[in-house]
Order: sequence, then structure tokens, then C-alpha cells
Amino acid sequence: MSTRDELRELARGFRWGRRPLVPRSAEPYTEPHEDIGFPTDWARSKAGVAARRVILRGGMLPIVSTELSLRVYGTDHLEDVPGPVIFYSNHSSHLDATLIMCTLPERWQKKTGVGAARDYFFDVWWRQAFTALVYGGFPIDRGRGGQTAISKARELVDEGWSIVVFPEGTRSPDGHMQRFRHGASRLALELGVGLVPVAIIGAYQAMPKGRWWPRRGRPVVTMRYGEVLYPEGGETHQHLSTRMQQAVMQLFDEDRTDWFQALTRAERGETPSLAGPAGAGWRRTWEGSRPVPRRGRPQTWK
Amino acid sequence: MPRPGFVLEVDERTPPLLVHEGEGYRMQKFPLGTRVIYPPDSLPGIDDLNAAIKHALLNPMGDSAPLPDLLHAGMKLTIAVDDISIPLPPMITPDVRQRILEHVIELAARAGVDDLEIVVATALHRRMTAAEIRRMVGERVYRSFWPKALYNLDAEDTANMTIVGQTDHGETVQIQTRAAESDLIVYVNINLVAMDGGHKSVAVGLAGYESLKHHHNVNTMLHSKSYMDPREGHSAINDSVNRMGRLLKDNGVKIFQIETTMNADTFPSQLGFLNKREWEWSAKDQALMAGAKQANDLAPPRIRREFFRRIEAPYKVTGVNAGEVEAVHERTIENLHRQQLVEVQGQSDIAIFGIPYIGPYNVNSVLNPILVHCLGLGYLFNMYRNQPIVREGGVAILFHPVPWEFNTIHHPSYIDFFEEVLAETTDPKQIEATFEERYAKDPWYIHLYRTSHAYHGVHPFYMWYWGAHGRDHCGDVIFVGGEPKSVARLGYRRADSLRDALEMAKDTVGSGASITYFHAPPIMIADVK
Repeated sequence: MSTRDELRELARGFRWGRRPLVPRSAEPYTEPHEDIGFPTDWARSKAGVAARRVILRGGMLPIVSTELSLRVYGTDHLEDVPGPVIFYSNHSSHLDATLIMCTLPERWQKKTGVGAARDYFFDVWWRQAFTALVYGGFPIDRGRGGQTAISKARELVDEGWSIVVFPEGTRSPDGHMQRFRHGASRLALELGVGLVPVAIIGAYQAMPKGRWWPRRGRPVVTMRYGEVLYPEGGETHQHLSTRMQQAVMQLFDEDRTDWFQALTRAERGETPSLAGPAGAGWRRTWEGSRPVPRRGRPQTWK
Repeated sequence: MPRPGFVLEVDERTPPLLVHEGEGYRMQKFPLGTRVIYPPDSLPGIDDLNAAIKHALLNPMGDSAPLPDLLHAGMKLTIAVDDISIPLPPMITPDVRQRILEHVIELAARAGVDDLEIVVATALHRRMTAAEIRRMVGERVYRSFWPKALYNLDAEDTANMTIVGQTDHGETVQIQTRAAESDLIVYVNINLVAMDGGHKSVAVGLAGYESLKHHHNVNTMLHSKSYMDPREGHSAINDSVNRMGRLLKDNGVKIFQIETTMNADTFPSQLGFLNKREWEWSAKDQALMAGAKQANDLAPPRIRREFFRRIEAPYKVTGVNAGEVEAVHERTIENLHRQQLVEVQGQSDIAIFGIPYIGPYNVNSVLNPILVHCLGLGYLFNMYRNQPIVREGGVAILFHPVPWEFNTIHHPSYIDFFEEVLAETTDPKQIEATFEERYAKDPWYIHLYRTSHAYHGVHPFYMWYWGAHGRDHCGDVIFVGGEPKSVARLGYRRADSLRDALEMAKDTVGSGASITYFHAPPIMIADVK
């Protein structure tokens, strides 16, 4: 490796010019506190579920359908799956949770809650209430081992609730998929539940980080639900995370090509990566924000 | 209170981690989820070392009387000291051995002792040079005793070696005649790792081949799991040495043991980043590391070696204990564990070790391929209690360039061992049965051992056996960056990068393997639960 490359690696690894970070497992131990934060159980009561159904079906879905050209595939994979499961997807937009909750079949929708970042969605009362009511949300501590969150997730799964998580931890800054953290795979291994991959294609182009409303022009957003993955005996959480990532990549490939091609490419280990191009940062954003082409017959009336 | 050791899990926030690789180091990115074992922070040293030494000599442990009460005019007193193989790197002067020797000699002078000799307990190690001895014992001791009453042990001087007896396991116990006949042996030890000290000091340090062959053999090494765990039943070599030590005691050999332990200040302040955890490196540390690495990579090999040779460890003493051997050693091990023990949960499929530039047998010399094997699969692999870091059948990945390079003065028999023995077989048992005795009794190697500064002819065999347990335990051993020919001669595989090595390891442990990186030096012991 040349000196220049070495220095570049160092600069990246040690975050030169930015705030240094301590690896999570090396963070100083802090006494666990009893603070359970904003109560969310009320949102999963019968009344809460009914209210959520009204909001999602009567409010959110019409808005989403009006503002986006939404296409949903693969929900048939969920038909014979016994619950609960963990839904997970790539994460590039605030639309993601809404899209999943709106497009889930009813059987699943009424018993699914979204794991939402405590530091963002559970900071002020009105956002907490909104997240809990609309998404059945429960708080997740990003990057703190999240014992409270894990125990909450465990409690929900024990009660038969499915959960939605975004293993990337945060929205992609450039539309490309980031590395999956291991929280979801650890949880699946611990609880022995299945994982349903969901690919959300076009959400970044429709409403990237920094926007609060989708772009004009009904951008195309495609949702693809995949087949459920189950942890294998003796599997490590790292390996399961890799399989989870592969499954989402395969759904993206399926969207670009077709089911059979995606399947054969996956068998050959040739599924295209979603990591995006290397090189300057602008290239990644440029590629990530390339509009998703419309397919099918052109509209008669524009 | 200093922080204990801990196990890091590599995440996306983790910077590249430092990995030693011979006379250099690299910054290596590890796969996410890799466990990294870090040693505890350095313990504070004893503020008033002279007072601590005096206190230890006057308040001995076990059934021993205070040292002044054991010294009297007309007695024969032998003081034995550990040789240059510890500590590593050599510590800054004054060496703790000098400090202790001065106190002991002062007491002996006051008691009217005339017959006093100081022997460097080299066993079959190379003789230390006069300059090395002067550095170790200090000017005053050196001027008073060198060379007549301060000398290296000559274990091949058969006229001056005595067989004291045989243990109930049939092990011959042979030590230097002068020591066996002394009214008192005072042993001055540095306990750098858990296998040092205790009965090993006299029963091994002052012994010859006739005695050493009973425990420095393949069978014993394969049953020492690990030899860094001296608890009864865990280390066959330690159990054997204990039997020998007890036999010495039963035969009236009186030993006053002085043992010391060091903290973890392994590298001097200008290389202070080597003692720290990477994410705690200041901007200065990062700049120092980058600068030193570039300078080191660009430097001619001779300059690079000289730079490393001159490194002196600013070790501070954390404990001085004296008295009866077993009582002292128990306290020493407690002290050592306070500094070195790290609790680790479970084994992993792959263990990664960075092999540093120095081991016990290449001080002021070259770490030749056999010593690389010994340091990696012998010392580093065995730095555990209960069970190895890597599971049985797992893969050990070692970082070292493994140059085909030998010091002809220090390691002449190593060259022949590498060229002749390893060219034929790498199986320790076969090597032991076919070649050991010939090398051990070769007159030329014995001559070089006695008159030059050469390790004994049998020493490369011991180094090979030292790694026998690690070799036997692992399903595959891969050297990252190793010279192809020398790695092949050792019977291992090589890779250009960690990524390649991990890919190769899949042949043995499959995909999704768990990985643990043993981030040493500083020295530590993984207590694998």
C-alpha cells in the first residue's frame, strides 16, 4: 500500500477533522437506569390498533398513493408465514416506515410495531405520541447496546407482535445501502423468529434525507417483500446479518431484472452490490439520486 | 485504579488496529464483529523500590528466615540471576536485578561472607556477553565480581554439574555443583510471564541437558495446556519442574527465592502509542505512529534492526517477594495476574496474533523462522488459562515477514536444524526421535555453547517443541506477509493480506467464522471461560 493510501486509510479510520468516536463496546460503563421513557403500550391496545388502522388506511395511504407512484410486490410471501416476524429493509428516507406500515397486509399491519430511534423520534412529547400512534413505535437506543430496546422488542415478540427494524441504523446519506448492524440478527437468533426482507426502491429519490415531503411528479417507489429467512442452527449473528443483506440485494436485483435472473445470479454469487460506486462522495450521491425509470405504457394525460 | 483488560467488538467506529509484524507494524482493519483482547492498563509501580526490597528480604514468606539470619561468615553463598531472556524488551537501567543484587551483597558483606559467587542462570541459553552482564548487574557488582565470581552457567562443564537425584517419576535432577553444595542459593528472578519463577528458577536455570530433557520434550509440551497456567495438573512441564524443585529441597539444597513482577510499560514514551488502545490515541500519537511507520518502512534493514534493538522498556516493579520458593511464587502469580489476566468468554474459530520483533531468545539478535514459530505458536498461543483462544481445529493467523535469516553467532544449530531437520520433517515427535540426541551431543555445538555465545545444539528442538501444542491444536496456520520459502519450510501456509488469510481459513472453519485478535504486546493472559 502506498504512503498516500495508508494516510487515507488512517484519515478515514481515525476520522481526521471530525469528532473521534469510541467503539461501542469500549464506551465507559454507565449504571443502567430505570428510565423507560415515553410509554407506548397504549398505542398497542385495541383502541390504539383501531385508531392506527384509520390513520393508515384513511390518511397515510391516500397521501402516499397520491404523492408517489407506489408499486408493491411480494406480499404473497407473507400468506403462510406464522407470526411474529421481524420485518427489515434498506433505509434511505422517512417514507420507509410509512410505506411498510401502509403496504403490509391487514393481518400483519394490526400487530406490527416499528422500532424507532429514541434520540430522534422520542425526544419531544408530540413526536413520541405521533410515532407511537401511527407506527406502533417503540424506542430503540442507537449504538448503546440497547438493552431496554431489546427487552422491549422481546416483550413485543413474546406477545405476538411483529416488529419493523432498519438494520442500517440510520438513513443512507446517499441512497446506497449501508452496512447492516447486528442488532436485528442478534434479536432474531435470540428469539428464534423469522426475518422478512423488504426492498424499498426509489424512496431516496422521492424523499431523501433533509426533505419532509415527497418531490413533485409522483416519483416511482417500489416495495418488494421477500421470502422469510430463518436463523440456522449454530449460525453466528455476523453470518445472519450477511444473509439478511444478501436478501435485500437480491430483491433489488429482482426489481432491475426479473425473479429468475436474480435467483440464478444469487446462486452464482453475482448479485450486484448496493454499496455504490467508490471514489468521490458526489459520485455516490449522483448515482443514488438517479431517478427510477417509469416502466409500462406512458401516461396518456400528463 | 487502572482499568482491567477487556474484549472489544469491532464495529464501524473502530479505527484500524495496530498489529506487530516483526521489525515493524501495520494498521489493520478487522472484519466487523471481530473480538479484540486488550491487556489491562499498566499498574502503578512501587514508589520506593529500595524500601520494598529491604522489606521483602527482612520479612520473608513461608518457612524461611529473614535473609540476614541466613548469612554468616565462612558460608558458601551462590547468587543466581535470570539471564537476558527476560524482561522483554530489556528494561531501562538500573535493572531490577541490579537493585536486588546490591541489597543482597550488602547484607552478605556485613555478615562476613567471603565465598560468594554470582551465576547467570542461562541453562542451555547462550552465554551473555560481558557488556550485557554489566548492563544487567550494574557497574559496582560487575567491577567487584567479574569474571571470576560473576559468570554464565556452563551446563556442559560436566565436572561441575551434579546429579542430585531422581524424582518419583524417574526424572534426573542435575544442577551446577557449586549451587548444589552451597549453604544457600539466593535466586534473583524477574517474573515476566506465568511460566517463569518458582521451582523453575533453580531446577531449570541451573540445570543441564540431562535434567532438561525430562520436561523439555514433545510429550510434556503436548500435555501442558497451557504452560502459562502453572496450576497443578494444567501444565505437565510445570508439574515436572515442581517435582524436581521439591527433590532439591528434600536433598538439602537451601534456596532463598526473590521474585519480582513488572507492570505493562513495555514501550518507551516516544513509542507510547504502542502501550495504548487505538481509539484513545491523541493527534500526537497518530502522527508519531504514522511518522515512525513511514520511517521504519523506508529505513534500510540494518538501521531498522538497530532502532528496535535499542528499545528499552520503562518497566516499573509492581511486587518484590522473597522467602520460601512455593510461598513466594504463589504471591508472584497473584501479582502477575493482577497485571495480565483478561477474562474472555468462549473460544473462536480463528485467532489472530501479531508477532513482535523480540522474543526471549533473540535479544540483540535476529528472530529467525524457528523463533517466529516458537513465539507465535509457543508463547502467544499459550497465553491462556483454561482453554485456548482458538477452538480445536481452528485457524491461527500470524503476522510476521518470517525472513530466512539467522544470527550465525547466537543460533548456529538453528541454521542446521532449519536446513537439515525441517527439510525432512516438521513432525515434532519424529524430529525428537530421529535428530535430538545427535544435535544435543554434537561436540561442535557444545564447543560453541561453552566458548562463544551460541545457544546449545538442542535449543532449536526445544523451540520447535514449544509450539507443538499450538501446532497440534490448530487445523491450519497462516502467516500474513511471510516469506514463501521459509513459511513453507516451517510447514505452514502464507497469505499476502488478512483478507486473503481469512478467505483461506474458510477451507478449515467455513464461512461466518468467529475471529479473535490477541492485541499483544503488552503481555497478557486470556482467561478463556
